[in-house]
Amino acid sequence: MTVSASPARTAAHPTPAGPPPAAPHGRSLKDRLAASAFIGPATVFVGLVLLLPMVWTIATSFTRYNGVTMHWAGLDNYTRLLTDPGFGQSLLNTLLWSVGSLVLPVALGLLIAVVTQGSRLGTIARIAVIIPYALSGTATGVVYNFMLRSDGAVNQVLGTLGLDPVDWLLHWPMNTVTMIVASTWQATGINVVLFMVGLQTVPSSTIEAARLDGASGGKLFWRVVFPQMASSTIVVVGMALANSLKTFDLVWLLTSGGPGTASETLALTMYRQTFLLSRYGLGAATAVVLAIIVVAASWLYLRRSLRPEPA
Amino acid sequence: MNTKLWTGLRSIFLVLITVLWLVPVWLMVVNAITPSAQYSGTPTWWPGDLGLLTNLTEAWDTGQMGPGFLNSLYYSSICAAVAVLLAALAGFGTVVLKVRHKTLWFWLIYCGTLVPLQIFLAPMFTAAARSNLYDTRLGLMIVYVAIAIPFAYFLMRNFITTLPREVFEASSIDGAGPLMTFLRICLPMCRPAMFAAFIFQFTWAWNDLLFGMTLTASPQVRPIMASLINLNGNYSAVGPPTVLAGALIASVPTVAIFFVFQRFFVSSLTLSK
Repeated sequence: MTVSASPARTAAHPTPAGPPPAAPHGRSLKDRLAASAFIGPATVFVGLVLLLPMVWTIATSFTRYNGVTMHWAGLDNYTRLLTDPGFGQSLLNTLLWSVGSLVLPVALGLLIAVVTQGSRLGTIARIAVIIPYALSGTATGVVYNFMLRSDGAVNQVLGTLGLDPVDWLLHWPMNTVTMIVASTWQATGINVVLFMVGLQTVPSSTIEAARLDGASGGKLFWRVVFPQMASSTIVVVGMALANSLKTFDLVWLLTSGGPGTASETLALTMYRQTFLLSRYGLGAATAVVLAIIVVAASWLYLRRSLRPEPA
Repeated sequence: MNTKLWTGLRSIFLVLITVLWLVPVWLMVVNAITPSAQYSGTPTWWPGDLGLLTNLTEAWDTGQMGPGFLNSLYYSSICAAVAVLLAALAGFGTVVLKVRHKTLWFWLIYCGTLVPLQIFLAPMFTAAARSNLYDTRLGLMIVYVAIAIPFAYFLMRNFITTLPREVFEASSIDGAGPLMTFLRICLPMCRPAMFAAFIFQFTWAWNDLLFGMTLTASPQVRPIMASLINLNGNYSAVGPPTVLAGALIASVPTVAIFFVFQRFFVSSLTLSK
């Protein structure tokens, strides 16, 4: 969750506000000591526990390392990934997750936020959609594991309707699609909340003015209301993008990436290579590729969405 | 006529959404209530006899959800509190104090949240194994604090930039040192932002699975989501009602927190001002 909101955070302050130029003679030794006492602890934690491992992972990705012996391997790990069909599959699944998470939870979130405005039934529907957001990916996985197994609730319903049971999690691409739907159940709620915040920021005078000019229905929404919700939309889409690229918990619980490695995402591939196969170099290369994709996607996305608006 | 049709369609959509979203929750609760012995092998749709307490106890004791729950309560509250405090200190340092290269410090602390957590995982595991921190509370807590700092720092720094500078200047003219200014002036004003950051990081640590399952092994140390994975792994042995009761135990705190403090979540996601 922490990482997920990063595009939003960068959106607010792409760079920290420039400090007022400090008087050169105002910086005594005492000032410096005081400053490092304040900034030091957080920096040391982040530096030693996050940045150092990150550098270590990048370095390991150029080696062959099994946990005991380490050899320089140049770009071998990366070329192996490129030729590995399992990695291609994992990349494809990760892409499916991103597209699926952009389409389902985001679009549904917007639709639900708009449609539930101003009716009692709407409030009930909204609460129903928000509840699962408070569940963890793991708990969601437990519930869907219960519902999707061959003798589970979903097949029970199909049976009652006279339909054949479906192996939801045993074949690709059905398993990935099913898991994206399960994740939609969990993730839509927060998008509804954020879109509602966005809707509330649109001044009612703007809407009145547009109505007087003859706009209504879809035209009123897409031309007048939606553009004013831009800041909410940026947050929602950015979060969906970043989260979907890092999908782990739900897949780990429902299929463990199987059957075989058919439903693995990059996060699971990295885990399997590192901790199950002890191929630390290859796992590190996968982690680096994943990191590059996440950072590049966030950057490209934010660069597009943060273009200064015409005054 | 047209509006009537529209209202009708809208109502159907809303009912459909409500049912689709509530069915999994309903099934989870109903089947967690069903006594394990009476569970027929297929999901129950209506509550019968009450076995919830037995199932909860079974999940808590035999399923090791109890130790996991207490561990996570301990990890999440302490780590979130420590991280928020360190983040507030750093936020005060980089906003109020005279420091050179403020942008550099900002990115140094903040960049940890831009990359996926997978990039930290293997070296953390290796380092923990070599330093005897593997499968210890301290090891996992160090990791949780470090991961919570960047976002908490971002929230605190943004909040402190919105505070009027004059207050801090006045305090320093009155002869108060940085520590006094921080404790007497900054902390009290930061309370709402610190609380929002705390709630956010508490929930994150509570829901973490990746680090819990990678850095711990024994039930006395495992956090709750790793315990839940173990319980689910014994699905056929303990039976679905107990597993779902375990999922309930794991979910109740975050569901309660979310609904009580919903506006804090929203404010920390919509740019924390």
